[in-house]
Amino acid sequence: MFNLKTGTVAALLVLSAGAGYAQDTPINGTVQSRCIIQTDQPGIYGNPNAYTLSTTNSDGGSPPVIRVDVTLAAAYYVDITAPSEFSSSPSLPDVVTWAGDTSVKTMSDSTTMGGYETGKLETGYTDRYDLTATGSTWFQTTSTATMGGSKAFPGGNYTALVEAACIAK
Amino acid sequence: MQKKLLLLLALASWPSYSYSESLAPYWGTTGNAITDQSLNWSMGNVLPEPPGLDIQNVIYSYTIQKESGEWVTVHVQNENANGTGYIFRETDEWKPGTYTGMGINKVVPVGDLPRELWGPGSIEVEGNGSVYDANVTYTYKVTPCYDPQFDPNCPGYKMPVPDIYEVNLDDLYDATKDENIDLDRNVSLEQNDENLEENEKDKEEAEEEAKRKYRLEKALSVADAASLSAENARINAMNMASVQKLETYVVAGIPGGVYDDAINLIDANIPDGKNGLRNGLAQQLLHKQMVEMQYNLNAN
Repeated sequence: MFNLKTGTVAALLVLSAGAGYAQDTPINGTVQSRCIIQTDQPGIYGNPNAYTLSTTNSDGGSPPVIRVDVTLAAAYYVDITAPSEFSSSPSLPDVVTWAGDTSVKTMSDSTTMGGYETGKLETGYTDRYDLTATGSTWFQTTSTATMGGSKAFPGGNYTALVEAACIAK
Repeated sequence: MQKKLLLLLALASWPSYSYSESLAPYWGTTGNAITDQSLNWSMGNVLPEPPGLDIQNVIYSYTIQKESGEWVTVHVQNENANGTGYIFRETDEWKPGTYTGMGINKVVPVGDLPRELWGPGSIEVEGNGSVYDANVTYTYKVTPCYDPQFDPNCPGYKMPVPDIYEVNLDDLYDATKDENIDLDRNVSLEQNDENLEENEKDKEEAEEEAKRKYRLEKALSVADAASLSAENARINAMNMASVQKLETYVVAGIPGGVYDDAINLIDANIPDGKNGLRNGLAQQLLHKQMVEMQYNLNAN
């Protein structure tokens, strides 16, 4: 009984070894981005009048600040897009007109990053910066939403998003 | 049982753990070195006290104020305390195109530079511009065993050796060089034995004399002691006697009650005492005789 059991197992093993199968072997790898984006400070909309929302300090708002860290020089662009719609808001009575702009607020090296602002490309709400140096750069984006027809913004919470993306060259 | 063993182990290891931790290096960050608008600071007011402190990073930030067309250069720096020049100097170029409101936020590793090297710090601006909202902090590492003699548990600690005064051997007295000592004098064995016996005899006599004196002193002290003892006994007897009298007097009982006057004088003639009269008369006679004597001088 004991020997039979052993022989059966051996036969199965032989059959298994003789069968032919196609097999894909994965090669795994992870690339750590050398461009890191993080929110340094969220923005706040002020409401200087009934039909305007603004992140300008003088309007009672606060512009959001985005930090971009690059550890590989001249390898990335960063595209930062000011909002052109609310991601969440009450039902609006009219069309909203948007205005926005991004600028360099702070940098870790003025000598190498001081030209970022003058060298940026503006396309619509998007500003593209050529990150030619390693280090950290802080960008701030102003945003203004104006309700059409000088109508008042309905009461409620409003949220708009600034999009930032590292683009490899 | 296992819990008890673990408790014992923890108790045994506790003191060494807490002690070694106090010697372990630790890290810290200073506050903002800039406390006023002068943009100058003294490191003594910024760094903490403990020795063995090395500065590792300088972290600074500020906002530039300038016209867009200007070229402004900003130096963040520390003078070299042990020489000329700077132990740390970081320069930021604000070229045309940059403008007021742009800021810088920089971390500059400097390695481990001992605090002794760090002189006064400052932010220097060249060109038509200025900085505001400046913040300069230092990160540091403190190694208590930087000086191995700080604690006996520090690696490399050496037991302190007291300074030993160096003596010039030539100044020491050397009997072999003393002219008053005749090192060549020979003493025969017999002479030596005689000298030894004589010395021994002198020594015995001296001891006997000392014993005699001791015995005499002892005898005198015993006599003094006996005399003193007798005197003490006499004083004690007197004290006892006085105490007895005092006690006799003190223990006399006075019965209580009311003591009325016992003398009851009734109005009557109280004749003079005859003894007093006789005495008074005799005195009077003598007085008169004495007075009269002065008048009888001429008669005599």
